[in-house]
Amino acid sequence: MDDPIASLIAQCAAADRAAFRALYRDTSAKLMGVLLRILRERSEAEDALQEVYTRVWLRAGRYDPAKGRGMTWLIAIARNLAIDRLRARPEAASDDALETVQDNAPRAETRLIAAGEARRVSDCFATLEPDRAAAVRGAYLDGLSYLDLAARHGVPLNTMRTWLRRSLLKLKECLDR
Amino acid sequence: MTDAPLTPMEADDALAAEYVLGVLDLAERAEAEARIKRDPGFAGLVAAWESRMAGLNDDFAEAPAPDLLPKIEARLFPKAAPAPTRRRFGLNLGWLAGAALAAVVVLATVATLAPPRPETLVTLATADRRLSYQVSHFGDTLQVARVAGPAAAPGQVHQLWIIAPGASPVSLGLLEDMPLVIDYPVPPAGFVFAVSVEPEGGSPTGLPTGPVILTAIVGEAT
Repeated sequence: MDDPIASLIAQCAAADRAAFRALYRDTSAKLMGVLLRILRERSEAEDALQEVYTRVWLRAGRYDPAKGRGMTWLIAIARNLAIDRLRARPEAASDDALETVQDNAPRAETRLIAAGEARRVSDCFATLEPDRAAAVRGAYLDGLSYLDLAARHGVPLNTMRTWLRRSLLKLKECLDR
Repeated sequence: MTDAPLTPMEADDALAAEYVLGVLDLAERAEAEARIKRDPGFAGLVAAWESRMAGLNDDFAEAPAPDLLPKIEARLFPKAAPAPTRRRFGLNLGWLAGAALAAVVVLATVATLAPPRPETLVTLATADRRLSYQVSHFGDTLQVARVAGPAAAPGQVHQLWIIAPGASPVSLGLLEDMPLVIDYPVPPAGFVFAVSVEPEGGSPTGLPTGPVILTAIVGEAT
């Protein structure tokens, strides 16, 4: 198994605190990047980072390397916490969020070409209409909700939902091929 | 819409994708999370979507993280019990306080010398004892079991929290029919256990959102 992060998580499950420190050292910058991008506020992202590693330690025993790489598992924990916190915020869609998405889109394209796994995602995104691909990417990377996406694309929420669901199933067909 | 409606299987898969993507609102997310816990088939769909979308993870740029390890470790690994003299007793308690201190000292000694053996740490109970959870420890493992009363009402769940002095609550898990077993060292005196009522699947925010129905302080008689 060539997944050093998965090994560290397994050691955490065995209550190895040194492994927990190594895991923090090796992965906190990535998870901070995830939290900062979605929450867009440094102090909240730092608070969330503490919660993420608390959950990682307490849930390490439930990580199953057969179901995915260690980093994928960690990022899922960080994204889920960040999105829960975002959805619990009182205010609705903010214009700032939309600006961020627009700015990041071209960079996203170039960075995605790097790894093989990412390459495949990028190929499959190319099979979607550009605005629908942008909606999926904006949701995943920036934590946009259906409400945000509907406002951004100027369509009713239900239409957005139908669009996105169709796009996701199409994406799946391509990725699983 | 000219599109044909999704089949039930497609609809489940689409819901899993929507959950992973994060587009659902708070209530829908809580519902999906509850389903992940009780429906392994749905949990599998979610895991498959997490892997599918993992290719996008490269696009999260790294950001320097401050060294929060000391704070995280203080939450997870409370230090050995502080000197009992830190606890304040009213003068009217007199000899009782002395006895309690002695008990704390004895407990601390037992905890460090004796091999791990399940021991009751605190009991979380309503005044009439109709609802009661018992927290016991076994080495670095806590076990929490309901010893009286019913589980939470349908659609709700009891969630267990631990609160270090002056810190935010940290979730230890959901209290359902099976006893909850957690890798967690014995918390020192002064730490608080609490049980709150949360929507199915647990608090969506990582902090208690519903009423706190039970509390107990480690080191104090309940």
